[in-house]
Amino acid sequence: MTMKLRAPGWYRAVLYVGLGVLFSLALITVARLGYGLDPVVDGRSWLLVSLLAVPLFFLGGLGAFDTWFHWAAGRPTRPDDHSQHGATSWRSYFAINTDHKVIGIQYVVTSFSFMFIGGAVAMLMRAELAQPGSQLVDGQTFNGLFSVHAALLIFLFIIPVFAGLANYVLPLMIGAPDMAFPRLNALSYWMLPVAGVMMLASFLVGPFASGWTAYAPLSTTQPVGQMFFTIGVQFAGASSIATALNFLVTIITMRAPGMSFFRMPLLVWANFSTSLLVVIATPFIAASQFFVLLDYALGFNFFQAGANGDVLMYQHVFWFYSHPAVYIMMLPGFGIVSEIIAVKSRKPIFGYRMMAFSLLAIVVLGFTVWAHHMFTSGMQDWIRIPMMVTTAIIAVPTGIKIFSWLATLWRGVLHVDTPMLFALGFLTMFTLGGISGVALAMLPFVIHVSDSYFIVAHLHYVLFGGSLFTVYAGVYYWFPKMTGRMYDETLGRLHFWVTFVAFNITFAPMHIVGVQGMPRRVSDYAEQFANWNLIISLASFVLGLSTLVFVYNMVSSWVGGPRAPANPWRALTLEWQVSSPPPIFNFDAVPTVVGGPYEYGVPGAVHGVFKDGGAEVAPPKPTTPSVAQ
Amino acid sequence: MEAAGALAHDHDHDDAGHHHGPPPANRSSRVDPQMLGMLLFIISEVMVFGAFFTAYFFIRVVQGAEWPAAGTELPVAIAGVNTAILLSSSLTLHWALVSIKNEDRNGFRAGILLTTLLGATFLFVQINEYVHVGFAPQDHAQGTIFYGLTGLHGAHVAIGLLLLLSVTIRAFRGHYSAKEHAGVEIPGIYWHFVDVMWIVVYATIYIL
Repeated sequence: MTMKLRAPGWYRAVLYVGLGVLFSLALITVARLGYGLDPVVDGRSWLLVSLLAVPLFFLGGLGAFDTWFHWAAGRPTRPDDHSQHGATSWRSYFAINTDHKVIGIQYVVTSFSFMFIGGAVAMLMRAELAQPGSQLVDGQTFNGLFSVHAALLIFLFIIPVFAGLANYVLPLMIGAPDMAFPRLNALSYWMLPVAGVMMLASFLVGPFASGWTAYAPLSTTQPVGQMFFTIGVQFAGASSIATALNFLVTIITMRAPGMSFFRMPLLVWANFSTSLLVVIATPFIAASQFFVLLDYALGFNFFQAGANGDVLMYQHVFWFYSHPAVYIMMLPGFGIVSEIIAVKSRKPIFGYRMMAFSLLAIVVLGFTVWAHHMFTSGMQDWIRIPMMVTTAIIAVPTGIKIFSWLATLWRGVLHVDTPMLFALGFLTMFTLGGISGVALAMLPFVIHVSDSYFIVAHLHYVLFGGSLFTVYAGVYYWFPKMTGRMYDETLGRLHFWVTFVAFNITFAPMHIVGVQGMPRRVSDYAEQFANWNLIISLASFVLGLSTLVFVYNMVSSWVGGPRAPANPWRALTLEWQVSSPPPIFNFDAVPTVVGGPYEYGVPGAVHGVFKDGGAEVAPPKPTTPSVAQ
Repeated sequence: MEAAGALAHDHDHDDAGHHHGPPPANRSSRVDPQMLGMLLFIISEVMVFGAFFTAYFFIRVVQGAEWPAAGTELPVAIAGVNTAILLSSSLTLHWALVSIKNEDRNGFRAGILLTTLLGATFLFVQINEYVHVGFAPQDHAQGTIFYGLTGLHGAHVAIGLLLLLSVTIRAFRGHYSAKEHAGVEIPGIYWHFVDVMWIVVYATIYIL
């Protein structure tokens, strides 16, 4: 037993959690004595310090820091025996693992779990909103529901699920044996469940209820549940910064010979751009939540107007992260869709370089539009027009991408299976969301619909119809690679059509009630919106049920689906040239890249060359379907 | 590392206990991965400071709050001496790095130890300043910003000191050589960043 408690793992993690709680208590007691206060500790400060310290103790117990501590103490270096690399059984997925493929699956499964919880919370909200008046929950609980819904789906689903998919396929795509910093990669993953469990644990004390935006000074005067968000976001943010740094270093230093930047698949480009955004922008939300924590816990005056504090400063700092964050939640999806549309149309992607440059343009422009979230906040008037202009301009690179995808489809030989259906669904729904976005950039209009359901409709068209559809597309597309099994195509199509139809019935009417003036984030509404809301609620339940089809398909196919070939889609990119699932170190020898990644239908085109080949994988042949010409 | 991957031809990854390593990754950039990682980390650290400077800007410039707050005074001279202490630690660190590059172990150990001590002195003076400065972050937003920015920087000094401490321990245990000094150079970059950041903090908080 003592061996189990000493070795990294769950036993030690539980022990360390206990130690962390005691450490927090000791820290507060010592601090109170130092300040000459009564050393009896109040529960609130013990809770707050524990929220910060216990996760670190937990990660330490699990073994996330062992090698680094060993190194820092100057002990003799141990050669890595790769015992933490690769999965040997399902247990490997519940431990520190340095294999990017294991971490990728950990990420995807964890973030989907949080999606189902966040989705269930949304069902609860829609049940309350099915009729006017108050039926199921009171106002503060309703505030808690939509806050937890948004916080989970943004910080624990959309952002990490993209990191997870990219974690799995990106090193394979660029011909790297793993990520640049595998242990950091494991640490970034394990900070995620910490953040998610913390946000959910807020239900034990009353959930945080000031929205995912947590505007100060509302958030600094809420009950203590608010701090579960404030501190949880720190861990989610640290996780995403560490991953982004890892992606950037991997992409810059570990590409296969011959893979110049302009031979990288667009998914790699997309994650390169996203990671730039994350590294530069995410520290701002970390800081904004530190401000809130200091104001809340220690009585600082960042947002106390009576003491020269500045309330609007919170919104500026917050949106300086959170506007780029909407591109963090979208650019990786652009990458996924670029892969799928090229492969499934059997055509080279149209305007490859412009696709790459438009990503970089979005990165740059993404930092110039933050105040369009604050048009009605009472900020200085002169900021409005420049922000309106930049917001309209940022639609241009996005438009370039939309037209490039359309041009890729043009006269292609379309293979409309599940991943392609979701990619096409994305293309249509995201365009609608983008158009309402451009409308929202226009000052006179946005002042009218600000804080109404029109905003809710817009953001769900881009985040659900946009991001989530690309996530589904990516999961179906790489499912054979990740699991070595094929998913059920019929169920996949059923999932798409139910989702697509229910999605539109749920969110399209929100445009109408929004323009008519129904406010968002309120648990009750005027009688005149009753019919639409009933329809929306019913459709949202269907939308919720559609995910069950997805779960059933994924689980049953993973357990008992037919074996997947190495390259079921006849794709050129490197991840499809190794077995499904890939060998433990990805490649026996790193392949050499000799051409672009999307030369479908180009006679004789080759992307990667494997020197001595794999035993079970043939070297990639140029796929030259005669039909494509 | 190179030897491990070369003979790997067995694809069966379910075969437990076979320990061939990964194939050597191709180096597609001349930049060292660890160094690049540290530089990117420093970029994100600069942005954390940027957010705190945004708060400073909003309170001092947009709000137009009196700086420093009425009836308070900032110890510009003492902080100036402290600045000199911190900056000299950058010089001693550079000395340590040059020494180990020339395989001069005594110079390296003296340099790294001196750097750590200078850093600790800076932190001590800073804490002493908190005790005697005469206002608290709870008093007004100016105090909040003062403690926020200097405290954020102090936390970075503390992290840098931990890094330096582990480099010192390893230095006295005989690690590092003229060929293997990335473990000095990369924490060193972080320490230089902490120093440069202090100049910005000192200039905006104390002098301007």
